[in-house]
Amino acid sequence: MRTCRREKESPLKDSEKIAHRLLLLQGVHFSPADLESIAAEIEDLDRIVAELEEFGRDAPWISLQAQPSGKKA
Amino acid sequence: MSGNDILHLDLTELSKHIGDRELSSVETVKAGLARLALVDNKLNAFITVLREKALAEAERADKEIHGGQYRGPLHGVPVTIKDMFETAGVPTTGGSKILADWVPETDSALVERLRLAGAIIIGKTNLDEFGHGGTSTLSHFGPVHNPWNIDRIAGGSSGGSAAAVATGIGPLSYGTETGSSVRRPASYCGIVGFKPTFGIISRHGSFRGAWSQDHVGLFARSVRDIALGLDPVAGFDARDPASVHQERPAYTARLNAKVDGLRVGVLRRFLEGVNGEVRQSFEAALKVFASAGCRIVDLDVPELSYAAMTSMVTSAAESAGINRRWFRERHQDFVPHVARGLAVGMTITASEYLTVQRARHRIREAMRATYEEVDIVASPTTARVAPLLSDGVKGNGDDTRHASYNQSNLLRFPSMLGLPGCSLPCGMNTEGLPIGVQLIGAWFADQTVLNAALAYQSATDWHKRRPALFDA
Repeated sequence: MRTCRREKESPLKDSEKIAHRLLLLQGVHFSPADLESIAAEIEDLDRIVAELEEFGRDAPWISLQAQPSGKKA
Repeated sequence: MSGNDILHLDLTELSKHIGDRELSSVETVKAGLARLALVDNKLNAFITVLREKALAEAERADKEIHGGQYRGPLHGVPVTIKDMFETAGVPTTGGSKILADWVPETDSALVERLRLAGAIIIGKTNLDEFGHGGTSTLSHFGPVHNPWNIDRIAGGSSGGSAAAVATGIGPLSYGTETGSSVRRPASYCGIVGFKPTFGIISRHGSFRGAWSQDHVGLFARSVRDIALGLDPVAGFDARDPASVHQERPAYTARLNAKVDGLRVGVLRRFLEGVNGEVRQSFEAALKVFASAGCRIVDLDVPELSYAAMTSMVTSAAESAGINRRWFRERHQDFVPHVARGLAVGMTITASEYLTVQRARHRIREAMRATYEEVDIVASPTTARVAPLLSDGVKGNGDDTRHASYNQSNLLRFPSMLGLPGCSLPCGMNTEGLPIGVQLIGAWFADQTVLNAALAYQSATDWHKRRPALFDA
């Protein structure tokens, strides 16, 4: 059986996380002041998503399902 | 009847006069346009005014009515619509520079239905760019001012619609709501704002803020007028994936102010930061419901403390998805604050969005259980009165980024979950600014919400107050 060995990952620093996210802007350029404001919001977003992840942990994943006609959903 | 007398008539009265041929559509439309010309330099509530087109349509409506072809309560009545709805041959901007010169070839579903009902669209109202905001200050066409005090915001994003109805520029306006964009401006401008259950009014041909939270809603000066405006535009439309099959709308016919035994839930824990005068007015409103025979039930739904955050992340991700192409190609043409918001939304990953939808599901289930215990949830619509325009987008003070008992959770959960909600005037503060109470019902309990709102208006006269600009 083949196994895959992974190097131990070092956690990303906050500034690296933000830089990774800014890459998702796909080359759209903002002024330094705008980037600072966007980076601050991204920091908030990281925290918010972590809070919501914990809160929603036991909820089912969303899915779209049709019901047979005539049956109550 | 003078132009000013006409403007004082609500939709119910106006329709009767037009239907009985005691008043012409042309006279009525002229009165609305005259008021618009008089006050809009102070309000900036309109992006496009349809003077000639509206007068021509009014003449045609008069001919039809005189010829015995009366179509119903909206026939010949001047109405306004938020500039989010496509109108064939008429510019549709979304409040954005990007579409400043765009003229669609077809009508949105809302406009189709309004035309079928014989309504006369006299203007398209100003808004936060593509509905992204809560102040109506984020428009390429400049901010909307509050009719009660022009140094204050009208609220957003449908601020132009609310300001128009509050000053008598038509008895009815149609807007959209993704977070609180109907109820908030209605509260700040001292009028009624209603957003039905998700899927009741088709959104086909309107711009999207966030598809899973977008609703079409209405503004009027009374609950009866809201029902009259809702009947002709509600109904299934296969072109909107969220549209629901429903029986023929008959909200007006089923209005009933008897609310004896109605269970009204109050989430007191979420009222801690609410302004003192707003809270006093809300408590007084609860007494009105109690006097009408309602049972006031104290509730605790701690899951709602995550509602504002969940709504905001969902909106940010969906609006980034919707605007992806324009963001890449024309980001410099967005209002700067909106562009920054879209940039943040662009960085939300698919797994994060889906994670947030689990939180949304948990809140939905908590509210489903809540509506087994009560029929309506009541709260102040906003935690404070309309803030100063100079305070900018921070003025609303409800940008909740933590799980908390902040009232803004109560403002945002109805649209996030698709629940029907109505904001009603329930008081004035010492500065003469309106205060609103909101009633939120269970899914498809739109009639219950309207009936409770009617019961409140039958016992009070807050909805009859007018800003000084109304008699300008």
